[in-house]
Amino acid sequence: MLRKIIAIMLGKIVWFILKILGRQATVLPGRVARLIDRDILKKLSRNISEEIIVITGTNGKTTTSNMLAGILKEKGYRIVHNQAGANMLTGITTAFIKETDIKGRKKHHYAILETDEANVPLLLNEVKPRMILITNFFRDQLDRYGELDHTVRLIKESIKGKSLELVLNADDPMVAHLASDTGATAWYYGFSDTDYDSLESRESREGRYCIFCGHEISYRRYHYAQLGSFFCPKCGYHNPEPHFTGYDLSLQGGISLRINDLKITSSYQGFYNAYNILAAVAAAKLLGIENEVIEQAIKKYLPPSGRMETFIINGKPAVLVLVKNPTGLNQTLHTLQYDKRSKDVFFALNDNAADGRDVSWIWDADVEMINDINYKMVICSGKRSGDIAVRMKYAGVDSERIIIRTLLKEGIEEALRSEGETAYILSTYTALFACRDILQELQTSASAGEKGSKSLSAV
Amino acid sequence: METIKIAHLYPDLLNLYGDRGNLICLQKRLNWYGFACHIIPVELGEDIDFSTLDMVFMGGGSDREQNLVYRDLFRQADALWVEIEEGMPLLAICGSYQLLGRYYESIDGKMMYGLSFFDFYTEGEEKRLIGNIILETEVTGEKKTVVGFENHGGRTYFNDDTLKPFGKVLRGYGNNGQDKTEGISYKNLIGTYLHGPLLPKNPAIADFFIQAILKRKGLELKGELDDRIENFAHEQVKRMLLGT
Ligand SMILES: [Zn+2]
Repeated sequence: MLRKIIAIMLGKIVWFILKILGRQATVLPGRVARLIDRDILKKLSRNISEEIIVITGTNGKTTTSNMLAGILKEKGYRIVHNQAGANMLTGITTAFIKETDIKGRKKHHYAILETDEANVPLLLNEVKPRMILITNFFRDQLDRYGELDHTVRLIKESIKGKSLELVLNADDPMVAHLASDTGATAWYYGFSDTDYDSLESRESREGRYCIFCGHEISYRRYHYAQLGSFFCPKCGYHNPEPHFTGYDLSLQGGISLRINDLKITSSYQGFYNAYNILAAVAAAKLLGIENEVIEQAIKKYLPPSGRMETFIINGKPAVLVLVKNPTGLNQTLHTLQYDKRSKDVFFALNDNAADGRDVSWIWDADVEMINDINYKMVICSGKRSGDIAVRMKYAGVDSERIIIRTLLKEGIEEALRSEGETAYILSTYTALFACRDILQELQTSASAGEKGSKSLSAV
Repeated sequence: METIKIAHLYPDLLNLYGDRGNLICLQKRLNWYGFACHIIPVELGEDIDFSTLDMVFMGGGSDREQNLVYRDLFRQADALWVEIEEGMPLLAICGSYQLLGRYYESIDGKMMYGLSFFDFYTEGEEKRLIGNIILETEVTGEKKTVVGFENHGGRTYFNDDTLKPFGKVLRGYGNNGQDKTEGISYKNLIGTYLHGPLLPKNPAIADFFIQAILKRKGLELKGELDDRIENFAHEQVKRMLLGT
């Protein structure tokens, strides 16, 4: 008892000091508390009066957890929710320390715990969730050397024999099988056919192999990347029938879709986020939240500006990212290193008051990382297109691969035309909204054009 | 391959507003011209043998840091001055530039002594002089514009009117916001308030230093670099400031 209180107290003190120092207080308080009381997370997680929900997967777990948290808050529940990025045990412990009182008795209704795939077995040793939601398992962003299969096996083993519910993406062959041989209850979400499907995958196939028999998976349709309507020609493994089905999907100027009897609209962008919405709604329905509350909460929920919104223009994904200081730029370049696809990098550098008049910060960032991101072209734009072009050149980008297009629209179009598999649209604050508008417009007109040609060929 | 040695004085203390970009620029350009370039970081308390160096670079820093640097550099000042007199290139930005003069008097009356290489002084004022700046300089032998960004509370005044400023201010504040002078130039030394960083967008100034380095070593600068991107960036700022 005393140990618990000391752990909480010290954790809170560390949290408070870090806050005063203006530092991130997402991991260290939890680490300190766990040193004092190894079972602190176990103990504090018992204060959740309703349910604990664990959210994991390669992509989309932050957006999905934020949306689910938004829905539960809309309903008026008190929740514990760890912060994006702080998704190991220490970060999750920090979230509980921060929310609890000094005696460690304060009750919360729900805990939404976002965590890395590899962390799931460890987490299950300490907390007892009712529900584990899995967004997707993308192989190409993880290790290519069987790491993912290993992780999936570990998750499966850790679930075995526990009474919990799995909320699974029915469209991902890497995820949909997860309940088999575990005895867990499985709930599936997935899309029926949409206007945005393709019969051929654009991505270079690295081969998606059947988890049961090793044969290559075939697809009837692709929704997004490896997510789609799939089957194994050898053993017959195929999408399970979803309990929560997304249909009537529109990605024009935001997202609208129907999920069972719900009508959802959101100002998020891209198919990718439609999956996050579908996942969050499925979980909320399973927790018994009313349709109106869910619809309202999602409608209100705005994407944090520049948080990696994805647009698809003529089949080429374009990811919009806000960059505003050396740390942020370094983080972005790091993220780009993990995406192995070839890419065109667009960078809009403005020097308006809200951006900071002084653009010299680009020299304090390690732009040299660009050499490890598999880029095709670097397109420099914005009021200070010259400055970012010079920075790129001195970071080691060959002059031949630097294109200066000061006007944002010309620059973005150049990035989409270039041969990279994907485009990253980096922008400082005052160019961000213009960039987003341009991307949105291009996405709308591109998909209108595609439909036009489709119906023509049907004639 | 010849190796050029550039000392970066007190990189942990003196590095504001991307000033390290000046070194990235010199190093890359030297490489492109066919020379190796070794940047030597020098920390507080280290003894420096200036005679083995081809150039010295000092970035900007806050008042507190300037004081630490002064005390450390003071004991080696004579040796440094000998090299400056013999034509060693030196680039000092902002706080380091102020350090080359007699003193800096802060707004609350605190005196910080400088190395007194030149007879000028600096006085702190409440209002900081912040913004893009463009100068005209003749350090390279012909009239060239120089663009950058200044951000300083100090006003620098020359006592000795034979001192030569680095350039004449076309737009911006410069040394003191009044007499249109900016920085100081002496032989192959330049002291200036310009961040930005200075050299990448002003390749003529970068090459001024490189020429001086090579000449001192009896080496020749061969070939020309393609500076279209650098010149574009230069012209972009120039257009913004002069509206031409
Ligand atoms: Zn199979």
